[in-house]
Amino acid sequence: MTTRRLIVEPRGLASSRLTLSVPLASVLLALIVGAIFLALTGNDPWEVYTKMAKTSFGSSRGFSETLISATPLILTGVAAAVAFKMLVWNIGAEGQFLMGSVFAAGVAIALGPGTPMLIAIPLVIIAGGVGGAFWASLSAVPKVYLGTNEIITTLMLNFIALNFMNYLIFGSNSPWRDPEVSQFPTGRPLPDSSRIPEFFNRLDYGFIIAALLAVLAWFLISKTRWGFEVRIVGDSADTARYAGIAVPRKFLGVFLMSGAFAGLAGSLYVAGPVGALDPRSLDLGLGFTGIIVAALARLNPIAVVPVGILMGALNNAGPSLQSIRVPAATVTMLQGAILIFAVAGEFFIANRLRKPEKKPTADATEGVEA
Amino acid sequence: MNESTLILTLFAAMGLGTGIVYAAVGEIITERAGNLNLGVQGMMLVGAVAGFWATYNTDSLLLGVIVAMVAGAALSVIHAFASVTLRVSQIVSGLALTIFGTGLSSFLGEAGTEPLVGEPSKATFEPILEGGLADIPVIGPLIFGHDILVYVSWLTVAAASLYLFKTRMGLSLRAVGEDPASAESAGVNVARVRYIHIMVGGALAGLGGAYYSLALVPTWQNEPIGPAGWIAIALVILASWRPWRALFAAYLFGAAERIGFTLQTLGEPWSNIPSSILAMLPFILAIVAMLIFTSGKRAKLLGAPAALGLPYFREQR
Repeated sequence: MTTRRLIVEPRGLASSRLTLSVPLASVLLALIVGAIFLALTGNDPWEVYTKMAKTSFGSSRGFSETLISATPLILTGVAAAVAFKMLVWNIGAEGQFLMGSVFAAGVAIALGPGTPMLIAIPLVIIAGGVGGAFWASLSAVPKVYLGTNEIITTLMLNFIALNFMNYLIFGSNSPWRDPEVSQFPTGRPLPDSSRIPEFFNRLDYGFIIAALLAVLAWFLISKTRWGFEVRIVGDSADTARYAGIAVPRKFLGVFLMSGAFAGLAGSLYVAGPVGALDPRSLDLGLGFTGIIVAALARLNPIAVVPVGILMGALNNAGPSLQSIRVPAATVTMLQGAILIFAVAGEFFIANRLRKPEKKPTADATEGVEA
Repeated sequence: MNESTLILTLFAAMGLGTGIVYAAVGEIITERAGNLNLGVQGMMLVGAVAGFWATYNTDSLLLGVIVAMVAGAALSVIHAFASVTLRVSQIVSGLALTIFGTGLSSFLGEAGTEPLVGEPSKATFEPILEGGLADIPVIGPLIFGHDILVYVSWLTVAAASLYLFKTRMGLSLRAVGEDPASAESAGVNVARVRYIHIMVGGALAGLGGAYYSLALVPTWQNEPIGPAGWIAIALVILASWRPWRALFAAYLFGAAERIGFTLQTLGEPWSNIPSSILAMLPFILAIVAMLIFTSGKRAKLLGAPAALGLPYFREQR
């Protein structure tokens, strides 16, 4: 072949400027790809992007809505970040999120309106985490003890959780369903004593809790002995085994922790802005968007917070585009493009490219076709 | 006889399974080359909208199918570049393809001054025989009663099986999936083999998606394929990477999808079973079957490509 080849060299530790500029470039390139598709379908990209920015950041109300959208994404982002860092391929944040919502709403309804807020709210939030961890365990336990591929089981459990929620609201007279409404079933409203109070327009303290939980995840992974051992497992299971670390238990722990974070996203969502287990007002796709958040944050739980706000801004802006006759799916397209560029960007963080020194030999062993 | 519930259910199951057959066979070919592409759902959706769009503008079903396959293959190149050339995580790259493809598909269906959404297709795939052979009891509808894409799917399965197991190229492909370093020493271009078969997988996923928009539900709506792409991925494992098994497993999934409707027609007490519980069946089936058949060392015995999911670093040979 006569193609010129660039030499690929692994980089040691990438500079912090590079690790920051690759995610920024990912967003920029995705916006360019989006602009091309917008222009091809007869839309003015600038008008669309200005509209999005104005909707999500242009007013205090808009910004508070952005943070409301960001809250579950921060937690599903943390769920993906802690799992992927340890090579636990939990693709089931979606289902764990829904199960967290089911558990949280269930506990809130069982406690009823008489329970003091200071007791009810923490119990409801924790219930969501338990629900998420429980749903993750259905994949984690077979993975650890039988070797069953977790990618497929977590994916399948997403759809089972979704249909289970639909069953609770549409297919039965479960306690989750609102008994007052018979025509078009909806979720039973949570008692006010289980609702997280608001402090900035419609924004509730759930956002603060989510940010604190992200810091907690960072602390657990980066600053504790458990986290240190988990990171060794993530780097090399063989090394970890040699060092006497119980790999299956670490794997299980990370998997359940990831599920718990996704479940917490669910509890903050139903006890926060939504206020009921309602299939129609629970956004779908928050689990998958969490994967984008985690990838763009380069699996760092702290970085997940600002990236979560960015993705929340996109999600929040989506529906508003319909007023200028632009599909809300523009946002999904942009998010997918961001993830594509972010994952491709990992190559440039891990490697450096340089031109061959003079004459490239025919059998240059390392190479990317230029 | 041919109007009996059983025959009608089986017939519908084959139709509902056909889009999944294409996607699953495509994914089998991709995975046999050692690459896991979780972008099936996205490629199917882009194929569905592209095929619908082409038929809508040309009235030609053939062009619709071709455009759908080209669109699916084009999207898969993104995954090939990321996972083969750049060697980043195949899992994240495939998921990115699904998210992007899902958004792009809905976007293209809704955007513009005359959006496709809600529009009926200008042409649809219909059963090729009315009466005649299709009236034979039992086998008539099940074997002779389908549209052309069902028969093409059988040919695709047969061709894929022959290609994988009886040709030299199939042998190189499987060698790349099992042990890329040895395949490379034997003169096989690992990257090229993976690129080609990722694109074949993409083209078949695109075709599978178009089966929904041009045959099953020929009016454009957002995400017309349901979770078919994800089911196709699960099915590859259940079919232990063999095309013929994928065909029958896809029909089984089709039956599980159809069972809700069937029970409705049977009346009480069957019709009392909530549809949301029945909708779980395909997924429960997939998990149970995985627990039984593919756990631990059995996965290897079944024929999982040894290098599946691993990037190949030539310099570390």
